[in-house]
Amino acid sequence: MTSRWADSAEDAAEDARRKADKEEKKRVKAKKQREAEEAQQAAAAAATTQTNGHAREEDADTERPAKRRRLSNSNAGQDTPTPPERTLLRAHVPPWQPCRSVERFDRLNHIEEGSYGFVSRAREEATGEIVAIKKLKLDPARDAGFPVTALREIQTLRAAKHRHIVDLREVVTGEGEAKEDVYLVMEFLEHDLKTLQEEMEEPFRPSEVKTLLLQLGSAVEFLHAHWILHRDLKTSNILLNNRGELKLADFGMARFVGADPAPANLTQLVVTLWYRAPELLLGATDYDASIDMWSLGCIFGELLTKQPLLQGKNEVEQLSKIFTLCGIPTQTTWPAFKTLPNARTLRLPTTSSASTQGSIIRSKFSSTLTNAGVTLLNSLLSLNPANRPTAKAMLEHPYFREDPRPKPTAMFPTFPSKAGQEKRRRHASPNAPMRGAAPGLQGEVDFSSIFKGREGEEKGGGFALKLV
Amino acid sequence: MAPITAPSHLANPLATSLQLETSSSQLDGVPSDLEDSVRYETARLIQTAGILLRLPQEIIAQSIIVLQRFWVGPDGGSMLECDPKDAAAAALYLSAKPSAHPVSPRQLLTVFDYLAAIRGDFAAAAAGAGELKPDRHLSEGDYEAQRDRLYKTESCMLRVLGFQTHVALPYTLCINYLQALEVFQTTEGSLVAKRAFAHLTSALLSPQSLYLTHQPSALATASIYLAAREVDVKLPEVEWWEVFDVDREELGFLVVALTSLAGFAVEENRKWGRRMVPLTTEELRAEIERQRMLEAGA
Repeated sequence: MTSRWADSAEDAAEDARRKADKEEKKRVKAKKQREAEEAQQAAAAAATTQTNGHAREEDADTERPAKRRRLSNSNAGQDTPTPPERTLLRAHVPPWQPCRSVERFDRLNHIEEGSYGFVSRAREEATGEIVAIKKLKLDPARDAGFPVTALREIQTLRAAKHRHIVDLREVVTGEGEAKEDVYLVMEFLEHDLKTLQEEMEEPFRPSEVKTLLLQLGSAVEFLHAHWILHRDLKTSNILLNNRGELKLADFGMARFVGADPAPANLTQLVVTLWYRAPELLLGATDYDASIDMWSLGCIFGELLTKQPLLQGKNEVEQLSKIFTLCGIPTQTTWPAFKTLPNARTLRLPTTSSASTQGSIIRSKFSSTLTNAGVTLLNSLLSLNPANRPTAKAMLEHPYFREDPRPKPTAMFPTFPSKAGQEKRRRHASPNAPMRGAAPGLQGEVDFSSIFKGREGEEKGGGFALKLV
Repeated sequence: MAPITAPSHLANPLATSLQLETSSSQLDGVPSDLEDSVRYETARLIQTAGILLRLPQEIIAQSIIVLQRFWVGPDGGSMLECDPKDAAAAALYLSAKPSAHPVSPRQLLTVFDYLAAIRGDFAAAAAGAGELKPDRHLSEGDYEAQRDRLYKTESCMLRVLGFQTHVALPYTLCINYLQALEVFQTTEGSLVAKRAFAHLTSALLSPQSLYLTHQPSALATASIYLAAREVDVKLPEVEWWEVFDVDREELGFLVVALTSLAGFAVEENRKWGRRMVPLTTEELRAEIERQRMLEAGA
């Protein structure tokens, strides 16, 4: 042991020596372990090659027959039929290991800066795989240590392995001086729905909206079934790859909730304003999965029109926009409304005529949606949280079964990726038809002369080309 | 049946055989029996602090398991680099943080400071015999220094664990299994449940780190098997444990491990007597030195 008063250079040398010593010991241990495992495997292999049952003595140790207690001897004399082998459920959860280094990744380009992290695109050196890396903004003094939001994001993402939820591959840290830096390594997707919609000329088609909504709904159903609330569903948190696959991301607001009883005193400061459910705006702290369903309704509306559905500038305006669209809550439509903390200070119009104060969703979307579609949107945007469907119920809605059917993901159009730094290519030749509704013909177009003189030849059961 | 491959409410990540074979502390020169004593003592420290902080047993159990994960393996935390009592505080802080019962650094550090002052008699402290008065407080300077150390230890712990703080516990499964076995229909049903819970809580202190080597379903099953025998309640005359995905061999191992725990605790008591189990790296170094001199003398 070194003396406490030894000079620092010696100390450092001693430290380094100890470190090296320890590394060496670790290496030797690991090697021994490997050798032992190999020996065991070799022994097992040797045992299986000995077919005539004369197992060597040392094999007998490792190849013990499974003990099974005999419970009754009543038919010991007879030929007892061997009971079928019972298979027991086994768990193989990957073990933990210390965070690896971020230096294994080459950073390619910056994607975006969120409220608590920078996201960039990177390539893993060893495999060449492209990933997205989110550097967490850490400030121990402000966050009381490691931020609880990041802790929850990691825990919920780890628990949420689903094809429509972004895969958290690992958590890595910086090296040396920067070892306190923490990065989340996630799969990379080319687009987020918000940026994509801003670039698109036309909104998604009805069949595409259905596919997107089904994928998103299945992710939300999975989360809710696993006791996770996302609490920040919005188009910028929904990623899309070039194969039409949607994945839900950004779990910075997510948390586990028990079911029975639901935890009281959850924070009401969740969900980006435009997607925030009315009960949250009214100060509820005992909300449940239905706040995510409200956000889904907002996203549904946004996908149809390419415009966020309810763009309030502040909480009050947001609430007023909600009431304008969905109607004024009444004692019958939302009995618990009056008990919410902020409802007392609200002054609502007093006349109770349903025609002037009901929902205008139906009239607003009747041109873009079928009857079933409007019914679904209406139910997702129910003021009373109890009337919103669960994610599971949403997925079973008739809207998804009627024509036009959800478009297969493989048939989705591809777009240049902003995050991947792809630019729209300009071609000298005419562009391929742009996606979206077929462009209408502008102004008066006179095609009457091109078939001139053919009228005599083409009579009877031909086809008629109709221009509207 | 497809195996469970992701951490869930039913399954934990378990320690690998390499992790179980050696630890960072042992590589640094801590004898393995001393390491066992420190692990036992830090688990008791967390249990007592958790009771004083009025935290649910769920969070206490999670933090003891998180701390065990931290100590295990050649890449784990070393007791000679990180004060064991700081690691215990960080584990409790970390487990409470995302739960419905977070604790502030000030609450936590005050309780740990109190427990350091009364050293040793955790059972009395947990029973409320101690004098933890509401006016007890740390000086501002002490508080800030300890708080910064707490944050440092917390981030070190997260790095060592690769942020794997997920812990599934056997308590609710245990109730579930007892219901399935219709134990509550007997008059001693709740007694069996109490005994089983007691075994599960004691198992947190096991030097064998049972929660790092066995899944919650196995622990719950073994605790029921043992409790039913102690209370003398009859369970089905078939291999009922297989219904809960536990084979006979694993059940037998766990029952023996659970039974041997009392002996270990008595032995620890005898070994340390009135002496304190070292809970800082400095105390630990002194203890290693003391043992070396004793050996040299003998």
